[in-house]
Amino acid sequence: MGRRVFITGLGFIAPHGEDPASVFDRVYQGDSAIRLVRSGTADFGSDLPLATVDFTLKDRIPKTQQLFMARASQMAVIAAEEALGSSGLVGESQAESGVYMGCGLGGAEILQEGYRTYFVRQSRRGRPSTVPMIMASGPASHISMRFGLHGPAHTYSIACASSTVAIGEAFRAIRDGYLDTALTGGAEAMLNDGSIAAWERLGVLASRHTDGAEASSRPFDLERTGFVLGEGAVVLVLEAEPALQERAVEPIAEIIGYGVSSDAFSLTEPQVTGQEAAMRSAIRDADIEREEVQYVNAHATGTPSGDPVEIEAIKNVFEDHAADLAVSSTKSVHGHLVGASGALEAAITAIALQKGRIPPTANLTHPDPSCDLDCVPGYGREVPGLSIALSNSFAFGGSNATLVLRKA
Amino acid sequence: MSAYSYLAEVLTDKYDVDGDKIRPEATLADLGLDSLMVVEFLFDVEDEFDIEVPDDRAKFETLNEAAALIDELIEAKGD
Repeated sequence: MGRRVFITGLGFIAPHGEDPASVFDRVYQGDSAIRLVRSGTADFGSDLPLATVDFTLKDRIPKTQQLFMARASQMAVIAAEEALGSSGLVGESQAESGVYMGCGLGGAEILQEGYRTYFVRQSRRGRPSTVPMIMASGPASHISMRFGLHGPAHTYSIACASSTVAIGEAFRAIRDGYLDTALTGGAEAMLNDGSIAAWERLGVLASRHTDGAEASSRPFDLERTGFVLGEGAVVLVLEAEPALQERAVEPIAEIIGYGVSSDAFSLTEPQVTGQEAAMRSAIRDADIEREEVQYVNAHATGTPSGDPVEIEAIKNVFEDHAADLAVSSTKSVHGHLVGASGALEAAITAIALQKGRIPPTANLTHPDPSCDLDCVPGYGREVPGLSIALSNSFAFGGSNATLVLRKA
Repeated sequence: MSAYSYLAEVLTDKYDVDGDKIRPEATLADLGLDSLMVVEFLFDVEDEFDIEVPDDRAKFETLNEAAALIDELIEAKGD
């Protein structure tokens, strides 16, 4: 057994806002941050339900640093600043911290601009800073530079599982004694026109629901049509127990297990067995009995084919105990932040444990019979004895990752 | 706008350089620009004056030398 690892700070740049407590309250109430957004131009483009972030950097960091930061990095740095502030981590322990971030695409809007210059303006004079701005590792590098963090600055680019893996790897590094503290999470900003058009062609995005755009993300519901793309950055501060005791800080939750697996099967089609393997591995890693798990924050994105696969995997892992579990998808209200999704969901799960409140699956009005677990429809639920929860992220490419969190 | 005044303006506006530090004999390094900022700065200059600074000419030290080079390239362009 290694050292215990606690979450001591959170920073959000999320579709629901920047204050973790108020974001959680809105998620708990099933209050959607999804809106209809026009991409492209008036006569060439589309209207789609999206979960955008109302974010401008303004003078929140020095101008010369902003010059070379793509949107994902900008959001990541501000989320990291908030997380550091809430953890109270300063001085030497801060300087030795590691940075473990997930990011799927990096500076998508910068890449788009570079292509526009070349192909549309027929110019070979793109911005010289294009390359360092499109790197998926931008968020981790900028956090390290901005706050003078001299530990490893690692980026995990594993599609939808990016930030869950980032958190899991940071957790392991601290548990095993390689680090005392880490800033970890994810950042994603690819709601630029070119990226949205590509996602649309893949046929996985939700269309606008008849009840309104805000009701378009409907995991486990018979009327689900796909997922709602979102953007944002979420950073967690993780600390080893000894460091925590020295500072007398009140942790938000404890991370006790992490499991990963690969389907080795398909780029886009999820596999029950791979998802099961990740959950089993995480539960074993946490050294708990599966019957101790009370809540699963599901990956469930709201695609017709994906949600039942996860439900089946949960049933196989938990067997008789599956019927006693609460399983919800908070993507119903914050959308799918891809490389930042796992971090937002792990953070929401941590607050859920802290408050003893399970967040719901919103818009679940006509449950799909193939998703017949307790999916906490509509509104959150008070569970004062809530103690252990899983947070799942299952990625394109068949990478599966699960975290196990415990009330601190 | 003269090349020198443009340089002074872009350095203060975009690169956040303290105006008091901008002197003809100052180098870009003196003003706190790292290598990435310098290439981006040259890109700004080329765009503004519609010129191309050949790689073997981008070796100026001071702002005064940079302004002289830009004036020369504008002159050579002949418009």
